[in-house]
Amino acid sequence: MGFFKDFFHKDQRADRRISDESQEPKQPSTRNLSNNIDYILNALKRTEDLKVRILKKGDAALLYIEPLVDQDKVQMNIFNPIEIGRVDSIHDIPSAKETTNLEEAVNSLLRGHAVYLEDENRRVSQFSVTSVFNRSVEEPANEKVVRGSHDGFVENIMVNINLVRKRIEHRDLKVKFFKVGKKTNTNVAILYMEGLADPEVVLKMEERLEAIDSDKVQSPGYVEEFVEDSAFSPFPQMLNTERPDRVVANLMEGRVALFSEGSPTSLIAPATFFMFYQAPDDYNTRWYTGTFVRLIRLASFLIAVGLPALYIAIVSFHFEVIPDDLITPVKSSINEIAYPPVVEALVMVIIIELIREAGIRLPSPVGQTIGIVGGLVIGDAVVRAGLISNIMVIVIALTAISSFVVPSNELSTTLRLLTFPLICLSATLGFVGLIFGFLFIAVHLTKLESFGVPYFAPVAPLRLKDLKDTFVRFPIFMMKNRPKDAHPMDYKAIGESREWKKNEQSKKS
Amino acid sequence: MKKLSLLLIISALILSGCWDQRQFKNVKLALSIGLDEGSNGQMTETVSIPTVRGGGEGPLEETVQILSSDAHTVLDARDKIDRMISHSFNPSKMEVLLLGEDLAKKDIYPVLDNFYRNPNSNLNAKLVIVEGTARKALEFRGAGEMRISEYLNGMLEGAEAASRTTGENLQMICAELVEEGEDFTLPLIKFDEEEVALEFSGLALMSGEKYTGEKISAEQAPLLMLLKGIKGRFVQLTRKVDDNEEEILDYITVEVMKFNDDMKINPSKDEIKVDISLDLDVRVTEYPHDHLVSEKVIEDLNKKLSEVLTAEAEQIISKLQEANSDVFSIGRHIHAYHPDVWKQMDWKTMYPEVQFNTEVNAEIQQHGIVN
Repeated sequence: MGFFKDFFHKDQRADRRISDESQEPKQPSTRNLSNNIDYILNALKRTEDLKVRILKKGDAALLYIEPLVDQDKVQMNIFNPIEIGRVDSIHDIPSAKETTNLEEAVNSLLRGHAVYLEDENRRVSQFSVTSVFNRSVEEPANEKVVRGSHDGFVENIMVNINLVRKRIEHRDLKVKFFKVGKKTNTNVAILYMEGLADPEVVLKMEERLEAIDSDKVQSPGYVEEFVEDSAFSPFPQMLNTERPDRVVANLMEGRVALFSEGSPTSLIAPATFFMFYQAPDDYNTRWYTGTFVRLIRLASFLIAVGLPALYIAIVSFHFEVIPDDLITPVKSSINEIAYPPVVEALVMVIIIELIREAGIRLPSPVGQTIGIVGGLVIGDAVVRAGLISNIMVIVIALTAISSFVVPSNELSTTLRLLTFPLICLSATLGFVGLIFGFLFIAVHLTKLESFGVPYFAPVAPLRLKDLKDTFVRFPIFMMKNRPKDAHPMDYKAIGESREWKKNEQSKKS
Repeated sequence: MKKLSLLLIISALILSGCWDQRQFKNVKLALSIGLDEGSNGQMTETVSIPTVRGGGEGPLEETVQILSSDAHTVLDARDKIDRMISHSFNPSKMEVLLLGEDLAKKDIYPVLDNFYRNPNSNLNAKLVIVEGTARKALEFRGAGEMRISEYLNGMLEGAEAASRTTGENLQMICAELVEEGEDFTLPLIKFDEEEVALEFSGLALMSGEKYTGEKISAEQAPLLMLLKGIKGRFVQLTRKVDDNEEEILDYITVEVMKFNDDMKINPSKDEIKVDISLDLDVRVTEYPHDHLVSEKVIEDLNKKLSEVLTAEAEQIISKLQEANSDVFSIGRHIHAYHPDVWKQMDWKTMYPEVQFNTEVNAEIQQHGIVN
């Protein structure tokens, strides 16, 4: 059934594309040079950085937007061939792209091309002389790994696709470009493995991208909010990453990656909750270590979301559960605090968020100072002043640290936000409220979908086979099938890769 | 409508909040509670309330407040104590409950009623009978030990580890308290005037819901526990096995490694016979006489030890019968397996008549790393 559905939808889509193209404006060039130049100048609102170089004593002109072009390239691509004498006319330079449509010339000017026009000639030659400023493909600061590749995406979409293509040398890797944003004309690309990615997911992605009707699309953050399933959910439904290896791994699981010009972040869909807890490091270390670290990370979810709430519920409702030997230390530390535990917790959480927010924007030496002043001085003074008990400081500090353990920044902020409702619930209803809070979160996670794929897979719906790479990480050769959540068209990922072992053993015996 | 219901939910959460709150910092915890018989048929409740301050920096400063009041019931007394202290009185982290001897000789269920009825009370607390008054034990301040509750709790834990008590708490006693044909023992402590210390002095034998006044001494308590089939972390028995000039040479100390107890109950119409046999595999931990070289010496010791222990077991059982305290739950067994016999007899009068046949066999298996 799915196949027919795809087939049907594809047809529809193709039709629309043709109709879109027919709408593109056309303006045939004239034989009059000054008319042509005039048209282009007007089209670009007589912007003053549009340079018009008059050549051949007024019979020809070379136009380009000066900030966009590289002067060396202009010299090399356009004037050098003439000077050497290889060609007679600039029109004859083979690298030129020709058109007679002035609208197209305007667009290529905006892309950083130079346009050559001659009097008495309708031909318009366009030369790619764009200047590109790229930073090097450094490791992203927010997704560092100990072992593994240390390159990261940059702001140029072509470089990014290059990084991915270098890692997947296969004909099935397909790139589709979209122009999004009516004014910004941002280049957005989706990448997927044809024959592996679920066509329905790809189709959904395409549909949603095409549906964007906005003047500007600045970054994947914009795109994300336009295309994600539940924009009002606190959980991110697309995985953000700046790491090529992560994108490649997800493409090979049959997911779709989305890049956009001008941003090093790529979005991966469909995403599941547990993907946010997988880090490239897990696969680069031994699997015992990977498993251990991942379990710690998942425990950090519970701590980050529930620990302050649990503590508050205990000290304001159910202090019977404190172990006998802890009674005195806990009691002595909270005995003389002026405020109820809820206020304590909220104050402390806000202090930590303030320190964090202040630290991010500041240059790193100052940021460190803020960290020390905030963390040590305020933390210590607040306890001495009797505003906040030292156990609460421990609880909140542990919570903050746990929230930073998540490899994904988006989920980390989500976790910190989720703490607040749980604190309020447990402060009003105790354990009952806490359990209800967790229940709501669990229900929400189970209900959530990302591009038609269950978000909480493989836990709900439960699929034991896929748990191999969820709470634990099995050795890679044992993960023979791709996880089912992304609906890959081909499940088999790894065949018998360790047959040599059996062979060796049989030889010995 | 949607907005209104949202508003209602939010206000229900915010406005009703804290209604049920019981702030931990606003309670005074009574960690140990003592109950005594008071004058004019009233009862006296004594509590020790620690107040700690200086959490965070420096050493904890702890002051203990000991209050007592006469009242009709436990809660009545608590109400009176509550009037004397700042914040509110809370017994839900009580660690030990002490009963004065005189009070325990009466029915103990009425004073425990509140502890079982209230869901907040700590049923994990230990119940102890004090020779003398509970108040005196609570007022005792041992050197080094900060709190009396900690002291008593530690003492009872030690006693449990050394198999001197069953280690039962309020919850576990509850069933035995109300069950017919089953009695229990409670740890007994007394204030030692000479050493100025509290001391575990044995097991108080309960008959029904009353303390009989009889006790098993602390030395014999481990044997009773073994007969009951309970062993803590270790059991150590020191017994006299010889008659020499020098006293120290007469004794042997053994540790029970493995034990096997077996009880056979043969009820008939007019008499009930109970065979109890207890096999002990022991390790010699102290034998000042030394020279455990030959098989014969060990054989003799086995024999002697078995004799001594058998005699002691008989002594214990006669004491149990005297006190009419059925700690082996023989009555319950008969009730369960021989209901027709049970119906025909009155267990309370029958129990002292039961014929016990006791046999203890000790066998030395190890004698440490020297001969």
